[in-house]
Amino acid sequence: MFDPGPIPGKRLLRIRLNGRWREDAVADDQLLVDYLRDTAGLTGTKTGCDGGECGACTVLVDDEPIPSCLTLAARCEGRSVETIEGLAAGGRLHRLQQAFHEKLGAQCGFCTPGMIMAAEGLLRRQPDPSEAEIRAALAGNLCRCTGYVKIVESVRAAAAADA
Amino acid sequence: MTAPLPLPRLRLIRPTTVEAAVAARVECPQHEVLAGGTDLLVNLRRGLLAPPALIDITGIAELDEVRTTADRTRIGALVRLDRLAEDPAIASRHAALREAAVAVAAPGHRRLATVGGNLCLQTRCIYVNQSAWWRAAHGACLKSGGEVCHVAPEGARCHAAFSGDVAPALIALDAEIEIAGPAGRRRVACADLYHEEGRAHLRLDSGEIVTAIEVPTSIAHSGYLKERIRRSFDFPLAGVAIACRTEGAELSALRIAVTGTNSRPLLIEGTDALLGRRIDESVLAAAEKLVARQVRPMRTTLFPANHRRSVAAALARRLLGALGAPDAAAGRGHAGGTA
Amino acid sequence: MPTLAGTRDGVPLIDGIDKVTGRARYTADLDHRGAFVGRMLRSPCSHGQITRLDVERARQLPGVVAVLTGEDFRVPYGVLPIAMNEYPLARGKVRYRGEPVAAVAAIDAETAERALSLIELDVRELPAYYEAAEARAADAVRIHDDKPGNLEREVHHTFGDVAAGFAAADLVREELIDCAEINHAQIEPHAALAEFDPFTNRLTMQSVSQVTFYLHLMLARCLEMDESRIRVIKPFVGGGFGARVEVLNFELVTAMLARAAGGKVAMELSREETFITHRARPQTRIRLKLGLGRDGRLRACECEVVQRGGAYAGYGVITILYAGSLLHGLYDLPAVKYDGYRVYTNTPPCGAMRGHGSVDTRHAFEVLLDRMARELGLDPFEVRRRNLLHAPTRTLNELAIMSYGLAECLDRVESASGWKARRGRLPHGKGLGMACSHYVSGAAKPIHWTGEPHAVVNVKVDWDGSVTAFTGAADIGQGSSTMVAIAVAETLGLPIEQVRVIAADSATTPKDNGAYSSRITFMVGNAAIDAARRLRGMLTEAAARRLDCDPADVECAGGRFHVTGATDRGITFEEAVKAALVDQGTLTVKGTFTCPPEAQGGKHRGGAVGSTMGFSYAAQVVEVSVDEDTGQVTVDRVWVALDCGFAINPLAVRGQIEGAVWMGMGQALMEETRYLNGMPAHASFLEYRMPTSLDSPPIDAQIVESIDPNGPFGAKEASEGALASFAPALVAAIADAVGVDLDELPATPDRILDALVARRRRQRLDAVAGGGR
Repeated sequence: MFDPGPIPGKRLLRIRLNGRWREDAVADDQLLVDYLRDTAGLTGTKTGCDGGECGACTVLVDDEPIPSCLTLAARCEGRSVETIEGLAAGGRLHRLQQAFHEKLGAQCGFCTPGMIMAAEGLLRRQPDPSEAEIRAALAGNLCRCTGYVKIVESVRAAAAADA
Repeated sequence: MTAPLPLPRLRLIRPTTVEAAVAARVECPQHEVLAGGTDLLVNLRRGLLAPPALIDITGIAELDEVRTTADRTRIGALVRLDRLAEDPAIASRHAALREAAVAVAAPGHRRLATVGGNLCLQTRCIYVNQSAWWRAAHGACLKSGGEVCHVAPEGARCHAAFSGDVAPALIALDAEIEIAGPAGRRRVACADLYHEEGRAHLRLDSGEIVTAIEVPTSIAHSGYLKERIRRSFDFPLAGVAIACRTEGAELSALRIAVTGTNSRPLLIEGTDALLGRRIDESVLAAAEKLVARQVRPMRTTLFPANHRRSVAAALARRLLGALGAPDAAAGRGHAGGTA
Repeated sequence: MPTLAGTRDGVPLIDGIDKVTGRARYTADLDHRGAFVGRMLRSPCSHGQITRLDVERARQLPGVVAVLTGEDFRVPYGVLPIAMNEYPLARGKVRYRGEPVAAVAAIDAETAERALSLIELDVRELPAYYEAAEARAADAVRIHDDKPGNLEREVHHTFGDVAAGFAAADLVREELIDCAEINHAQIEPHAALAEFDPFTNRLTMQSVSQVTFYLHLMLARCLEMDESRIRVIKPFVGGGFGARVEVLNFELVTAMLARAAGGKVAMELSREETFITHRARPQTRIRLKLGLGRDGRLRACECEVVQRGGAYAGYGVITILYAGSLLHGLYDLPAVKYDGYRVYTNTPPCGAMRGHGSVDTRHAFEVLLDRMARELGLDPFEVRRRNLLHAPTRTLNELAIMSYGLAECLDRVESASGWKARRGRLPHGKGLGMACSHYVSGAAKPIHWTGEPHAVVNVKVDWDGSVTAFTGAADIGQGSSTMVAIAVAETLGLPIEQVRVIAADSATTPKDNGAYSSRITFMVGNAAIDAARRLRGMLTEAAARRLDCDPADVECAGGRFHVTGATDRGITFEEAVKAALVDQGTLTVKGTFTCPPEAQGGKHRGGAVGSTMGFSYAAQVVEVSVDEDTGQVTVDRVWVALDCGFAINPLAVRGQIEGAVWMGMGQALMEETRYLNGMPAHASFLEYRMPTSLDSPPIDAQIVESIDPNGPFGAKEASEGALASFAPALVAAIADAVGVDLDELPATPDRILDALVARRRRQRLDAVAGGGR
């Protein structure tokens, strides 16, 4: 079989992924979203567009929600990356997951992981957001199913559950 | 790995000093500078450029500082847009800069994107910002290696439109740009960073990078209004920044800059003729006319050029009126929310 | 009157936890280990003869395992048996820019891309037509040889005495309304994963399908395989809205590549390619004439619709029939003439999209009705009330109306929006508008008519007491599997948690016609109830044996079977199951649902389209602000009421109403697909603008329950009916706010500003003319 040869420019990446440190060899040109999905096997993070236009790939890097298709994996060296898979702990859903489930914040569910991570970023810096703040924080995450009505309700419910 | 449109194979060079970054650019001028990456990575995936390496400058600590003195604010090129939007000193000193920063793209982009990157944003055109398949199928244009500009086939230049939000604010605020190059550092007025040529709109010499912005505090009132279809994601169909100073009720300084309509952020000429006058209906009408006459929107977006022209003019009138109103801040805030 | 006590507040989706935890696997998330990567080469040309297609160099490239062209597909496909004129890869001719012409599978994406670049394609270009009018021109070249005038289908229907109706009308007006082409823009890009086992000659296909049965059927057809050797599984699907009802070219190509490679092939389309695949709502021009009495009664309607259909047939015939058929069924219309033209053009093929066929004509109808009411001095609510239907009834075109809650919908939104107090009293620049709409609860006559029931559900109960419902219905986020679970649980008197649903896997679930035309709740819901009732009957008999009484005296409720009037004389559900399994073993029962012939529409040609067992009804009020300097329209609030018959899961119903209203808003405000010489100019989420959270208003959604006599627990559809009334309500609200009548969608700032400028010019001319008199 054809051997394409070694991939140039790989380096060792050490990141804290969902609370656990790990090391992987990654190419310089690997996007964070591809690292998460292909290398780490965390397919909860979605790809919905050809770059930076939908927010489905939103993850937390050092507590801040960013689109993981717009950053290189190599630039996350030494940083903490959190994905949807890291939220539930100890056999309990995270408050946002609980709220999105109960309030129907997810219909088809494809935008949901990115939406929840964007909302989690908001709640970490503003535990009691107004509706306007919620809408502003989610303005980089497209949803085609809900009209955002129940998404906003879900985030409000999660914030209230935390209080 | 099966995902479509991967990045092309490339290396990362990660300098930790400005000098090393400049040296890397000098060594290979085809290398691209990577800051936030929100524009560059998307363009790379669409094959708009194919550098052998990216010079990732985000490890240069000195470029990530905001320093304030009584008469100036110095902003490192790597300061992120979300920080500009949230920094109370910037909000109180340079409202236009804050309003422009918060108008860029979507929240996640603003957490990655830098002020220097937004200044150096590639010009945009509906015939250019497409996949490699698209451009090849349609036929390349001046900017993508072809012989003709599809927007204005009879002309000799590329009309791709500058679409950054921050540049017009900085031009209106009379900011200076600090540039580092092989010959050391130099400064230019922000407006002079740009050419009216969509293929090469940045007046940077080989090896140069933008390192900082210095904004004077001398112009008290400023604001930025952006016309777009959606309140998030969209580049400006037109964006207007105005900075002005009044003595008594009369204008003593007035600078208007427009984005989205030309291949560079455009400083509107002739505003000095309005100095010494009160901001009344005739001044607003004059400002509107100045903008309408000087902007040159072309068919670089799906939205008609005449619409972008008339809206740019209308925004200039509205913004100047709001800045001239007694409760300037409140009026501007509202306008910023709806435009 | 049904109660469904356990679900009155609504229940979360049974697969909701998978979605919020990231566990849910969509097609691109499936196990790709060992998969080759599939890619397609697309035509750079709009219309032309393929003169040379040389794939030899691609085939020779190390790492390439399969290369296909149109020559590898001998059989055309299409969603309609009467109009299959498309090949998965173009044969002989290309008809739109982006049409797939060749495909490769390789060891990785890079190799596959390189292989595509080695394929040599020459095309002798033909004239291309991007607008319906150009394609219909007398001297236009035929896009399909058998279709003169590039007309895919024309429809001419007249019901009632139209001339007499117009003669009797006090006010007759005609308008030309244009609606832009739009796209479903589901957030999940298209993807497929096919695995062919060369040792057993079996194919397993997983894809983003809304109708796995169609996919199964077309795989067998185009791969010329025995149906029984194919298994189709639907993973989680990230939205459909009609995009994935038709079988799509990449699905067939992926499967063929897998067979050619003798293994597993994964194909993921970019967002651009997903847009090019299209199959959405066509650009539509409507010429509409209405006759109205001074009393507000509709006297006659004449409607001409031209749809720019794109390059292949797809659903086109159905879409152009729906556009006329669903003029009926909302109001009492005494005379209707409809002329529809579906035109072939050199653009990506259009197809079905939420509100299939009805949305643009409904928009035109409501807009014109509103303007005429204004001219007659009638309130927009009042003019609708004067034209209400009374169920049960049949429309002129033989559509059966069995339940009709529009009057209550009108009352609800009129009151909730404060219409009477606020309309006409808002400051300049703000306005209120309203409109109505309706939609079918499943097509009463399926496209592939075989005489089988319209839906089949199996329910299995076993020694462990577990109840499992098997349905072929595709849950694409609308909550259909949850609906099945509720229907079965309710009928068996069990908590919903005790029912498991297995859906859309051809190896285990019964055939189903899938998720389209809002059929699942009505048809699959009824079949699920039927299956559960049969099971309940068996369990009741077993319980009666145990309880030593007549089965007629046994009641099933609260997880128990007990003697009527003696709740202490009973056994648990599990005990009843054990009793029923004696001598029988595992029980699997089948439930079915069939639409009776009298519900299947008129006998005229195309008369089945639009026929349904039950129509949903909606009314909505939209409040806007219009910025006259920039032309920006902001939707401040929406009030909507939908008659869904009965809300089996009110939480999901509200979610569907909100989503439909919002999708209508996207079409009304900003969404639009556009082409530059046939190149898609909208093929990204930056250029195809759907509203963000900051552009989206609060939506006050109310449920009206008319209790349909045939619906499951009285239910009808809930996810499409509210869509079509948004745009006309918005246009009416803009007119109320700033006094301009918009004849085009979407209401983008440039169009608003143009309309404002045109009005000012008219006013100036009027003033001059007036002054000269």
